[in-house]
Amino acid sequence: MKKSKLMMIIFLTPAIFSYMVIFLYPSIRTSFMSLFRVENVTDAMSKWQFVGLDNYQALKESSLFVQSMKNLVNIWFWGGIIVFVLAIVFSVILTSGVKYKSFYRAIIYLPNVVSAVAMGTMWMQYVYSSRYGLFKEVFESIGLDKMAAIQWTSPDMIFISLLIAYCFGMVGYYMLIFMAAMENIPISFYEAATLAGANVFQKFYHITLPLLKDVFRTNIVLWTISSVAFFIWSQVFSPLNPEPGTVTPMVYMYQMVFGNNMVVTDRNVGAGAAVGVILTLIVVVMFVVTTRLLKDEEYEY
Amino acid sequence: MKKFRSVLVLTLIVMMVFTACSPSNEGNSNQEVVAQDDSGLSGELVYWSMWNSTEPQALAINEAIEDFMKIHPNVKIDINWNGREIRKTLQPALDNGQKIDIWDEDLERVTKNWGSYALNLDDYITKPYANTDGKPYEEAVMGNLFDLARHFSDDGSVYAVPYQPFVFAFMYNKAHFETAGIESAPQTWEEFNVACEKLKAAGFVPMTTDDAYIDTLLGYHLSRYKGYEWVEELVQDKSNDMWNDPAVMKTAKDFQNLVDNGYISETVGSNKWPAGQQDIAAGTVSMYLNGTWLVNEIMGSTGPDFEWGTFSYPAVEGGANGVSAANYGAQAFQINKDSESKEIAFELLAHLTTGKWDSEIANRSFGVPVSGSAAWPTQLLEAKVVFEQLDTVYPWAGGIQADTDKLPIIAEAFTKLLGGKYTAEEFIEALK
Repeated sequence: MKKSKLMMIIFLTPAIFSYMVIFLYPSIRTSFMSLFRVENVTDAMSKWQFVGLDNYQALKESSLFVQSMKNLVNIWFWGGIIVFVLAIVFSVILTSGVKYKSFYRAIIYLPNVVSAVAMGTMWMQYVYSSRYGLFKEVFESIGLDKMAAIQWTSPDMIFISLLIAYCFGMVGYYMLIFMAAMENIPISFYEAATLAGANVFQKFYHITLPLLKDVFRTNIVLWTISSVAFFIWSQVFSPLNPEPGTVTPMVYMYQMVFGNNMVVTDRNVGAGAAVGVILTLIVVVMFVVTTRLLKDEEYEY
Repeated sequence: MKKFRSVLVLTLIVMMVFTACSPSNEGNSNQEVVAQDDSGLSGELVYWSMWNSTEPQALAINEAIEDFMKIHPNVKIDINWNGREIRKTLQPALDNGQKIDIWDEDLERVTKNWGSYALNLDDYITKPYANTDGKPYEEAVMGNLFDLARHFSDDGSVYAVPYQPFVFAFMYNKAHFETAGIESAPQTWEEFNVACEKLKAAGFVPMTTDDAYIDTLLGYHLSRYKGYEWVEELVQDKSNDMWNDPAVMKTAKDFQNLVDNGYISETVGSNKWPAGQQDIAAGTVSMYLNGTWLVNEIMGSTGPDFEWGTFSYPAVEGGANGVSAANYGAQAFQINKDSESKEIAFELLAHLTTGKWDSEIANRSFGVPVSGSAAWPTQLLEAKVVFEQLDTVYPWAGGIQADTDKLPIIAEAFTKLLGGKYTAEEFIEALK
C-alpha cells in the first residue's frame, strides 16, 4: 500500500503543480486585481490602488460593455441555433449512407482549419466588399439587385455579417462531434423502428435526438466557451477601434488592459480583470445549468 | 511500401525542423569588422523598433545602422523589428529588466506611456554632433517638434528624439483639381463646397473616408467651430446636454449637405480600411482627410508619379480655429534611462536624424525629413506649407476620442449620417 501511495504522489505532483501555477494562481490574482485600479498589467502590487467594487460598477455604467454583453448573448443564442441546426442536418445527411462521405466531411470541416484572421480578412475585404465583392457579383448575376445592393459592412449589417462568417466556419467542428455520436448508435434500433413503420422524421425525433443528449450538453458548453471567448473575429471585422456592432466582452477587456489603438488613454487593468471574472462566472453558471437540465443518462448499447 | 512511406515522412519532418530552426538574418546586423575607429566609441546596443522589417522605414533605418557600425566598428547594435505590437510588448519587457537601449513609437505615446523609463535628453540636445555643422542638435532639426515633445511631458523636458513627422490634413489628387478647374486649394468651408461641386461636375467623387478615420472628420469640424478642449468636454459629458449646442447641429447639417449634394462616396457607409484610401489610389476619388503618411501607404498602388497636394482642414464661419490648427506629431526615439551606452545611443540617433540618413529615410518612405536643411519629397511640398503655418496642436481627431467608451457610438452614428441613413436631427438624437 505504501509503495503505491508514493507512486500516486510522485505522478500527481507535477500535474497539480502545473495546474496551480498556470491556472489557479493567475485566476486568483486576476480576481484579486479586479478590486484594484491598476495602470499597467506588469505593475508591482505596490502600485495597485484599492477601489473595491468600483470596477464592477463602472462596467455596469459603461454603455460599450453593456453593448458587448448584448452582442455576446445574441451570438450565443442566434449563432448557437444556426450552428446546431446546420450541424445536425449535415450529420444526419452524412450518416445516412450517402456516397463520398469523407469528401463532404472534409470540405465542411475545412473552414475550421483555416486561420480565423485569414478567413475574416477574406470575408471582410472580398466577400462583403461593396465594390467587387462575391455576394454582390453573385446576386447581380442572378438578378437579385436589391440583395446585391446590401452594404454588408455598414454599421447596421455588420453584426449579421459577422455572425454569418463565424457560423460558416464553426459548423464543421460541431458536425464532426454529432457525427461521431450518431455513428455510435446501433443500426439495430433504426431497423427495429423501420419494421415498426416509423418514417425518417420519427426515427430522428424519437431515436437520434434522445441518444444525443450527452453530446448536446457537451456541445452547448463548448459553444458557450467559444462565444464567451469571441475575440479574433471581432478584431478582424473592426481592426482599429471597437464598433457597437461587433464589440464583445473580450474585445472590451483587451482595450481596457492594453489601451486604445489610436489614442493614448488611461488604461485600467483592474476593469479588464473584472470583465474576466464576470466571463468566468458566466461559463461556470452555464455549465452547472446545462448539467442539471440535460442529466447524464447511462445508456448501454 | 510502408517502409518507404515512413522514410518519406521522416525526411519531411527533418526538413521542416531544419527550416524552422534556421537562424533568421532579417534585421540582425552583427558585423565583426576590425578596423580603425577614431571616435573610440564602443559598446553594445539593443534597439526595439516599431517598424516591421519589410517597411521602407525599416529598410532605410537598417542600412543607416549598418553604416553607423562601419563608422564605429567597436559598436554592435541588435535590432528587434517588433511592428506596432511594440505598443503592448515594450512595457512588460522593460519592467522585466530586459536590456533595451533604444525604442521608438509615436511621440505622444512614448512620452506619456513610457516617459518614466526614458532618459532626460535636455543635456544631449544642446551639444553638436557629427552632422550638425557645429550647431547644437536642437537647432539643426525642426524646432516645433521639440516644443511638442515638451508639451507632452510632465515636467517640460525633452524625453524623445522626433523623426518622421506628419501632419493630418486633406490629401488630394492635384491632377483632378486641375481637370476640374480649381485654381487653389480651399481655405474655408464655402470654398470647399465649391471645389466639391466642380470635382463632381468633372466626373470625380469629391471625397471619401474609411471606418478607421471617419471620426476625424467630425472631430475636426467640431474643433474648428469650438476648439478641441470643448470637443473633449463634449464627449466626456455624461449628461449628454452639450450635444444640444448649436455648433453640433451646424456641423451635422454641414455634413448632411455634403451627403445630399452627392459629394461623398456612396460606399462610405461600409468602407472598411483600406477600401477608401484605395479609391484615392485608383483615381476615382479626389480628397481624403488623413496623415501625410498616406503617400507612402498607397505608394504601391499609385506609383511615384501620382500628383499629391495637401491642404489644411478648412475654416468654418465664426469658428474658434482656422487652418493653422491641426493634429501634427512624429514618431520618436527614446533612450532607456538605465542604458549603459547613453552617449553612443544619442550619437546613433543623431546619425539617423541628421545629414544623409535623415534624407534617405525620408525619401525612401516618402516622409518628412527632420533636419532643417533637407529637401522634402515632391509629393509633400504642399504639406510643408501647411506645416509651416501651424500654431495650434490638435489631439488626434480633434479630441473626439477622449472617451473611448462613447467613441464607438459616435463613430457609428456619424457613419450612418455620412451613409445617408440618418438625418442631422437623428444623428444628434442617437448621441444623447
